[in-house]
Amino acid sequence: MGFSLAAALTILLNTALAWAKDSYAPLNSFMKALTGHHWTTHGLVDLVVFFGLGLVFMKSPWIEKINPARVVPILIGSVVAASLGLGLWYVFF
Amino acid sequence: MNITASDVILLAHASCGVLGCVAATWVFVEVLNASPRNAARIRRAALFAALSMAAAWVLGGYWYVHYYSPEKAMILKGPWPFAHNLFMETKEHLFFATAILAFLLPIACREELYANAVARKLVLSVSAMVVITGLALEGAGAVIDHGVKVALLRGPGKGN
Repeated sequence: MGFSLAAALTILLNTALAWAKDSYAPLNSFMKALTGHHWTTHGLVDLVVFFGLGLVFMKSPWIEKINPARVVPILIGSVVAASLGLGLWYVFF
Repeated sequence: MNITASDVILLAHASCGVLGCVAATWVFVEVLNASPRNAARIRRAALFAALSMAAAWVLGGYWYVHYYSPEKAMILKGPWPFAHNLFMETKEHLFFATAILAFLLPIACREELYANAVARKLVLSVSAMVVITGLALEGAGAVIDHGVKVALLRGPGKGN
């Protein structure tokens, strides 16, 4: 369950980071300077957040308090929101 | 015949993406019939889906960083600039969501799915989302490719 919540958060963060990069050029330049391309940095951030949060959540006692049946709607909701968020952003940006 | 490294990498990227979708479909169907007998097969298929998406990420990322710029310039000057502005921009970021879902798949499949209805529902949902978003990305790739084609056939100076 820890990694499922980590995936939901990472997917939402991924869209938020795409918006932030497009809205704030210095962030895009900073991410480009880190690895040579903003997209490469973006992917690495997503990977670190997913596996990092997943490991942290796995060992957190509070994760057991979440109803497991709520994880699926949370994950589906995050994917739908993140996908629409990206699509609509690039339609209007 | 003139096949460049760019051609091979791009087609391998798309092929790995399709393989990832096929493997995720395989996981979905197996989980509908989850039992102790197919538990190991489900885990192998889930791992294959994750590895295929990882390969699609590395290959697509390498191609995007090293070869895409001239095609992007061509698309933007052609009659289908939205092939980059909408489809590539969305694809290059939505891909991360598909890949993360694919990486989640083998982790979620570590549960005893035949005995755990919630875990089964989770794996069915994740595998379905890998397939749906993966196929959407394949479609976006086709639009981007067509954006280059129409730019070459009908772009500035082509008289159409």
